[in-house]
Amino acid sequence: MAQAMAQNMFRISQVSLNNVVRCNAYAFAPATSQAKAYSSASTTDKEKSKNPIQKSVFISQSTDIFTNLALEDWMYRNFNFNNHHVLLMWRNSPCVVIGRHQNPWVETNTTNVAHQGMEIARRNSGGGTVYHDRGNLNLTFFTKREEYNRRNNLEIVSRALFREWGIESVITPREDIVVKNTYKQISGTAAKLGRPNAYHHCTLLVDVNKVALRQSLHKDDKGIVTNATQSVASPIMNLCEINQHVKVERMLGAVGWEYLRTCPETLEDGGQDLINKQRGFQLINPTDNWFPGLNKLKEELSSWDWRFGKTPKFQVNKSFRVPKEFLGEGEMGVQELKVSLEVNKGIIDDVTLKLPPGLLSTNGFHGEVDVVTSLRGQPFSERAVVSLENALHDMSTKEGNLQGKSQFVMNCMRQVMQSV
Amino acid sequence: MVMSLNILRCGARISGRSINLLQNCGRYLPKLSENAFRLVSTSACRSTNVRRFTDKHEWISIDGNVGTVGISHYAQDSLGDVVYAQLPDVGTVVEQKGECGALESVKAASELYCPVSGKVVEKNASVEQTPGLINNSCYEKGWLFKVELTRPEELTGLMSEEEYEKFLKSDDH
Repeated sequence: MAQAMAQNMFRISQVSLNNVVRCNAYAFAPATSQAKAYSSASTTDKEKSKNPIQKSVFISQSTDIFTNLALEDWMYRNFNFNNHHVLLMWRNSPCVVIGRHQNPWVETNTTNVAHQGMEIARRNSGGGTVYHDRGNLNLTFFTKREEYNRRNNLEIVSRALFREWGIESVITPREDIVVKNTYKQISGTAAKLGRPNAYHHCTLLVDVNKVALRQSLHKDDKGIVTNATQSVASPIMNLCEINQHVKVERMLGAVGWEYLRTCPETLEDGGQDLINKQRGFQLINPTDNWFPGLNKLKEELSSWDWRFGKTPKFQVNKSFRVPKEFLGEGEMGVQELKVSLEVNKGIIDDVTLKLPPGLLSTNGFHGEVDVVTSLRGQPFSERAVVSLENALHDMSTKEGNLQGKSQFVMNCMRQVMQSV
Repeated sequence: MVMSLNILRCGARISGRSINLLQNCGRYLPKLSENAFRLVSTSACRSTNVRRFTDKHEWISIDGNVGTVGISHYAQDSLGDVVYAQLPDVGTVVEQKGECGALESVKAASELYCPVSGKVVEKNASVEQTPGLINNSCYEKGWLFKVELTRPEELTGLMSEEEYEKFLKSDDH
């Protein structure tokens, strides 16, 4: 069995460009009439027996998160899944992917992630934040809306793990895959339901860099108040920790073949007979030539407006203790500078500075107005801090004795921006 | 007062002297103003067939030229607990059957489709704050947004409550 599979994998890697071209031309003509037909009527039994559902496995050749997300979106919008289910398998260079309605500043440290050269992407499906690298295999199961069945898909993955490596896994009530007897997660799942199409995608942790994962998903209490969806942190493990022979390349074949041999309606194992009736594996080169409109989708997905601007509105509240030297004479006790930012669509809508009485010198600290106006309308990012810096610098050169105080205020603002 | 009027109406029908009897009763019952009488009759009309439904399990109820949109009990049940509602902003121009937002539940992010064409005039801020309202009260407090219709004739293509119930029982939903 393993030998046959190895041979098949070898054949896949030798697929000539011509073959791929022929397959692509057939498969990827956008089914515009299908996209516009919103009828929810499912196929009748008679039609089903006449045209049984066939399956394809597509393997993306790109490792760019935005290209792959765009490909996934393109297929969801344009592909005709009438009697044809597709499993798309894809991998990405290191990046962080947040759910559709999440707040990137809550879920990750955006500055750190950027410093490590990683992208932050927002996907179209719901769910929590995940870290991707080449040790992680993404699986997207495409079907028509009526045929969407998340548990079935996870069952296929679970069977593949057992058939190939004897790994026993369990599907939790939350519909995640955990390794039996450890209850550590090896997969996270999310889905998007539309009409006429729907998809369920999940990650599969084969050999992921766990240190990088922990660092990028590390959350501090940043004083953010929001109704964005929050991630549920779970303990994870790599499959290669259970069995050192588990590798991503082999996983492609294991899951792919299990998908093809399983009957879509009944989950019965149809074996080689059923495999022979399917459409098999295809290597996909996601370019605008083969997928008209793909570039536009990619642009939208990589835009700041989508990744950060789509964040549900939130408030950032932070307090800073004012050093004694900045307090006026005679001021006693602990006094705090309170900063509150309202951010809507990723833009700073409003800034409130609550200055303790001690921070107002006899000349008065007029910086409040400048600080507020310089920040309003700025995207919530390092750029805003720079413009704030400029505003406070101008102010402090005019009134020399305020320099220390304005520096303090500016440092507090910078901390607010950078801590998220 | 209303109860007695209804009883009288029933009684009148039986006796076959409907209108006369009602008019005569004005002498014996507390004087009913014309408005009160109209209220009784119009509310009787309003209570039936208020909502129209789509095959995507959204409902719309009309008041003048403004429709209030929400999702049906079947839809909220199959979604599971809604954790986030992404509603269209006020001023958005929407097309019938076009995507206009999303509801995220623990199971999936589901697209919202607009039942009619028009312009969004209000969205339910309470639902944005407390998405669970959609599960608890999908026809009342869990309304999603209001749209000013540009093509009222589109309503005739939607299902009545009765037709929608029948649709749910069929295999085709």
